[in-house]
Amino acid sequence: MGVYQYDLIDADMLRDRAEAFRDQVSRRLSGALTEDQFKPLRLMNGLYLQLHAYMLRVAIPYGSLNSAQLNRLAAISRRFDKGYGHFTTRTNIQFHWIRLKDAPDILDALAEVGLHAIQTSGNCIRNTTTDPYAGAAADEADDPRVWCEAIRQWSTFHPEFTYLPRKFKIAVTASAQDRTAARVHDIGLKLRRDAHGALGFEVMVGGGLGRTPYIGKTIRDHLPAHRLLSYLTAILRVYNRLGRRDNIYKARIKVLVASLGAETFAELVESEWRSLDGEMLDLPDVELARIRGAFAAEAFEPRPLRSEIFEGAKRSDPAFARFARRNVLAHKKPGYAIVNVPLKAPGAPPGDCSADQMEVVADLARRYSMDDVRVTHAQNLVLPHVKLDDLPLVFARLQAEGLATPNLDLVSDIIACPGLDYCALANTRAIPIAQQIAERFADPEMAERVGELKIKISGCINACGHHHVGHIGILGVDKKGEEFYQISLGGSGAEDAALGSILGPALSASRVVEAVDALVDAYLAVRRPAERFLDTYRRLGPDPFKEAVYADADQA
Amino acid sequence: MRTLIRLEKGAFVVGEDLFAMVGPDEPLPAGPVILPLRRFQAEGAAVLDEGRALGVRLEPHERVEDLAYDLPRIAVVALAFPKFRDGRAYSAAVLLRRRLGFQGEVRAVGDVLRDQAFEMVRCGFDGFVPADGSGAQDWAAAAGRYRHVYQAAADARAPAFVERRG
Amino acid sequence: MSSLLHAVTANRLEDGAVVFWSRTGWAEDFPDAELFEASEPAAAVLDAARAQTTDLVDPYVIDVRLEGEHPVPTSYRERVRALGPTIHPELGKQARGGPVVAAIQKAAGAARSSGRLSLIRRK
Repeated sequence: MGVYQYDLIDADMLRDRAEAFRDQVSRRLSGALTEDQFKPLRLMNGLYLQLHAYMLRVAIPYGSLNSAQLNRLAAISRRFDKGYGHFTTRTNIQFHWIRLKDAPDILDALAEVGLHAIQTSGNCIRNTTTDPYAGAAADEADDPRVWCEAIRQWSTFHPEFTYLPRKFKIAVTASAQDRTAARVHDIGLKLRRDAHGALGFEVMVGGGLGRTPYIGKTIRDHLPAHRLLSYLTAILRVYNRLGRRDNIYKARIKVLVASLGAETFAELVESEWRSLDGEMLDLPDVELARIRGAFAAEAFEPRPLRSEIFEGAKRSDPAFARFARRNVLAHKKPGYAIVNVPLKAPGAPPGDCSADQMEVVADLARRYSMDDVRVTHAQNLVLPHVKLDDLPLVFARLQAEGLATPNLDLVSDIIACPGLDYCALANTRAIPIAQQIAERFADPEMAERVGELKIKISGCINACGHHHVGHIGILGVDKKGEEFYQISLGGSGAEDAALGSILGPALSASRVVEAVDALVDAYLAVRRPAERFLDTYRRLGPDPFKEAVYADADQA
Repeated sequence: MRTLIRLEKGAFVVGEDLFAMVGPDEPLPAGPVILPLRRFQAEGAAVLDEGRALGVRLEPHERVEDLAYDLPRIAVVALAFPKFRDGRAYSAAVLLRRRLGFQGEVRAVGDVLRDQAFEMVRCGFDGFVPADGSGAQDWAAAAGRYRHVYQAAADARAPAFVERRG
Repeated sequence: MSSLLHAVTANRLEDGAVVFWSRTGWAEDFPDAELFEASEPAAAVLDAARAQTTDLVDPYVIDVRLEGEHPVPTSYRERVRALGPTIHPELGKQARGGPVVAAIQKAAGAARSSGRLSLIRRK
């Protein structure tokens, strides 16, 4: 109900893939496949070799899960891992202690509930992400999940685009507020209606973070929605043919778009699009209707706008009132609400979720959220369809599990990559920095007073923590074998996308929290009413903040 | 000497490779030859005039569109994989089949491995010179590993959305 | 005083576990690692390791120095590999404890901040 259920064809795909990978693992273990031949196959099934073990990245297509799936993830974490998982900035989940020889059994267990690890790594089209409030937000032009499911199918085992120059990430947003960071994706798609009410996509290409961050360029203002897949084919074909293959640091589509110029790139795409056979590639109306029907079948009850139970609970419990104020958002249906479930308890690794916590959220989803859970790119969870009447009960159970921190988008709602504690690519750790900052601002009153402040931390230049688009971005760098951190300010991953600017010389690990403290103090001293940290930075520029952090010469 | 595997009428068989793959500088042997693109452009007409069967080898950066007018007279287009991860030949094969209507053999040469059989067949390859010692049965198994496909490509398989219509 | 020694490490193919070459074969615990004073014997072990393609992935040589009597990898990354995630002292090889683990946890890098030390010791 209300979410796409895999039919026999979808289920067969997962089983066939799991079986193919089982064969490939066995041939690797026997030596019939070399590591060089096996590695891309392993990556395309989500398996990375990390610092301590293999890491398995399970796909959560467009961030959507049901309770059976979340329960299965909990069971897998217990049976094959160490009882927890980590939700990522691409709304997938990672397990950090996986054995290669168990991977085929894990894929079988995932396939039973319609989950998989298909194309979550490797130089192929990755998970398409979207707004966690899809289907619940009042202002969406259309339900982006419909289009994400279309893209998922089109991109799965796409034979022409399985060996791209580099990874490829697509995000779809449908509301005025962009909760998907679409502008810093290889392709960002913004669902909109034109002046005549016709549904279409603004197509943005060439955004990305990492070593060389870019904001995506719009190459088409309005693509008629039903032409989406043929247009994506044209973009991917141009990229597959022309993207650089000689240098992995210059192989993303953002480099191609920058080197050709957005206009020339757009012309190449349009020319390719005109030449290809749209009828073969675009989904027929009947298939679009089938997918749309799966998402539309919500059995919302008619309810009054106002809930006395909800209002009463707010009056009697200040903690609940704060939670409601921060984490609960208006739903398109009267009497319902969108509930944010942060995985950001101060002191806990951001985005980590224990098996017990997963099972509690799964139970709450089944009972109180129409069996629907979402993952956000800020590494939190969402129960998208909760009746206001049920909120106090839901809150109590979340609170008991440490899942009710009232800090959505606040200073302690930090995005952090796993960093050097887990990741073979990292230069420094990221999680301890996040923990320290969150603990420093653990007082909920203080956090609310500071207001919206998005801190994003990456342990290396690959930017999986999205530090380029943090209001405060923190990038770990290795300086003579010691962990140092470079601070940038003014980034944003929302519809007002911008890349942050480096504030000054990198700081040693022990200086980072006091620097964040100083930045917050500087902001509080000069902010105007209703001005967020980001707004004050945009108004005043870096000087007052530079002064606050580097005023003392021997702090640098 | 590597084996040529052919996909003929849906079955993988070991083929007899009649063509000599000629390098950029070596003298032309007798009989059917596959020439690099530049040599084809310079010497192809002469070879065809002798009544010999002719193939062209394209490196990944070379464009299939440059062969458009000559395709009716070309028996084999060999698309090179310098490394199996270089996926440009997949687009080249699709364009050869779908856009340029090429009816001859599209052959995968270079770092050609059985685990890419599925993608290659779907993109319109029907000749394979494996570098990993794999045989016709390995290729049949790999090419047949998915019962359904989600998207149209350069083969005849109906995508899932067509299957679902019943 | 710390003179530079070497050890050889890799990941085990079947489960990805970090292993170290020891006199009795590939060991899971850094305290058991064989330490080489010269680079040639380490290179010889590395060559043999590279040939073990169905047992190991990505073998390489690491630098080690002595902190008092205990060996400690010089690079911070290798110390994390030898211990486990710093935020979960109950997980990974560090949970086994012992004097070498303690020495690695205490090791000063090219200057470790007190912040980092106390993080490792938490909980």
